[in-house]
Amino acid sequence: MSTAPEMDISLEQVRRSFGATRALRGVSLAVGRGEVYGLVGPDGAGKTTAIRLMAGLLRPDEGRVRMLGEDPAHPRTRVREGLGLVPQRNTLYGDLSVDENLHFFARLFGLSREDFTARRERLLDITRLGRFTGRRADALSGGMYKKLALACALLHRPRVLLLDEPTNGVDPVSRRELWELLYTLVHEGMTLVVSTPYMDEAARCHRVGLLYAGELIAEGGPRELARQHGVAASNFEAVFLALVERHTGGRAA
Amino acid sequence: MHPLVVQYRAVVVKEVRQTVRDKRVLVLLTLVPLIQLFVLGFAVNFDVRHVPTAVVDRDGTVESREYARTLLAGDTLDLKAEAHDEQTAEALVERGEASVALVFPQDFQEDVLRGSGARVQALVDGSDPVRSGVAADAVARHAAQRVDRLIQEDARARGETRPRPAVELVPRVLYNPELTTAVYVVPGIVAMLLLIVTTIIMAMGLARERETGTLEQLQVTPLKPVILMAGKVTPFVLIGLVDVGLALGVGAWVFGVPLRGNPALVALATLLYVLCTLGVGLLIATLSRTQQQAFVGGFLFMLPAVLLSGVLTSVRAMPDWLAWVTYLNPIRYYVEVLRGSLLKSAGLGDLWLQVVLLGVFGTAVMTVAARRFHKTTA
Repeated sequence: MSTAPEMDISLEQVRRSFGATRALRGVSLAVGRGEVYGLVGPDGAGKTTAIRLMAGLLRPDEGRVRMLGEDPAHPRTRVREGLGLVPQRNTLYGDLSVDENLHFFARLFGLSREDFTARRERLLDITRLGRFTGRRADALSGGMYKKLALACALLHRPRVLLLDEPTNGVDPVSRRELWELLYTLVHEGMTLVVSTPYMDEAARCHRVGLLYAGELIAEGGPRELARQHGVAASNFEAVFLALVERHTGGRAA
Repeated sequence: MHPLVVQYRAVVVKEVRQTVRDKRVLVLLTLVPLIQLFVLGFAVNFDVRHVPTAVVDRDGTVESREYARTLLAGDTLDLKAEAHDEQTAEALVERGEASVALVFPQDFQEDVLRGSGARVQALVDGSDPVRSGVAADAVARHAAQRVDRLIQEDARARGETRPRPAVELVPRVLYNPELTTAVYVVPGIVAMLLLIVTTIIMAMGLARERETGTLEQLQVTPLKPVILMAGKVTPFVLIGLVDVGLALGVGAWVFGVPLRGNPALVALATLLYVLCTLGVGLLIATLSRTQQQAFVGGFLFMLPAVLLSGVLTSVRAMPDWLAWVTYLNPIRYYVEVLRGSLLKSAGLGDLWLQVVLLGVFGTAVMTVAARRFHKTTA
């Protein structure tokens, strides 16, 4: 797959193994600017590996990864200034408060005092964390923690935001709020890659890539994929199961 | 302000906040070393006094009683029991009730008066070499003094107006005249505690970042690994300097360790030494995936490092091949600086080599750690 100039992210025939486990087996995909791309698949499909490769936290064994036109794993890359990551795990400083976490990451991204003040206000507003600024991060609920992680990742106004299962362990109300928040970001021109095991979330993406056992078994718009399989877009689970069955010849069904 | 300085400050502030907030770590960094210094200062004691002694006086004469009385008059040997025979005395030594048994033979006084060479047998418990060595030395020294006195008395009895001068050894102990163990040991304990605290805390701190995933979060920011490392190290360097100041204060106050040297030299050596220990901590962290691995790694490093440093045992007492290994140990040089400066008021002119070597080790360890850290995080 060629990298078109408007593509923010591309993976070309990427393979990555961890010992004997082949996490990705020749995956190629591209994400355009301003797009919400969903990496959908069950646990162990290779979603997190793909996200980590995009973030430059891993190098591919084979193939090529491009993020904003650069190799994200190169030591001198400037990609990090335009990239935000919300990992699956809780990776903020639990013993620092909401405000201290925000302040710390703002300093790392080089935000000026004035810029930080304005940005903090805006992010606390959209994440509704304003009342909890003094609370330790490890004392936040699951949903609030994810929102804080999102706020920290958005401080420097990244062009691309990678979210690894952001709604995992989050209650339905917070899930809906989080998706509303993500749409706000997309309206501002941000490119989003969201990995999720929840099939209903696939319908919220512009395009989805269905990962199964390290392979990209289908890619396209959720409505388009649903139409191809004669089911409603809201019943994406049926689409996924049909695709897996076709891919494995019924062995996984 | 330069962006790198801003990042460095942010990491330092974060580290200080986390350290201050974690009361257990704070206690571990400040109070525990002082308590350990206090306890170890008393516990590690090579001073041999009041050795329990059994006496078997089979002669029972004025001469044998006088000999035993004068031998037990000092504070090295204390009379624990009087036994009737050698077997009873040996049993006392075997049970650990006595460390020394003095056996006076039946004809002791007669042999002395005849000048035919009287013998006193000293049975010494060799299971504690230090204690038995000192006890045997006290018995031998007393015997020599006694012989000398007898020669002088004999000469006077024969009417010699000018008794033959005996050879007299007049030892004068410099720097630690009382030969107090604590004065020698406390600087070593300071170095040891600093090693334990800084290496383990550093190794576990970085391993925790890796284990909890915060390191990964930092990797997707523009923060350079070297700035992260510098920011993490800085608070612990300062804590190390404070620890040494407090420990030496306690050493002087409680154990009478003299503080004769130049404080600036001690501070410089401490700074370089802490760079070495923190560098080792970082290196261990780069080789560990979990805090548990980091802790075990730190422990496995520290035990041989302390034993091969001259902190608790003399390097001169080691076999040559092992003594060479100590030249690769920065603890050795730091302890030499502390002892030289504090006890002998030696200056940079005397201790420059040790200071330079500490600097070389510190730079080398930090460089290797930084490279490995960069490789694992970049």
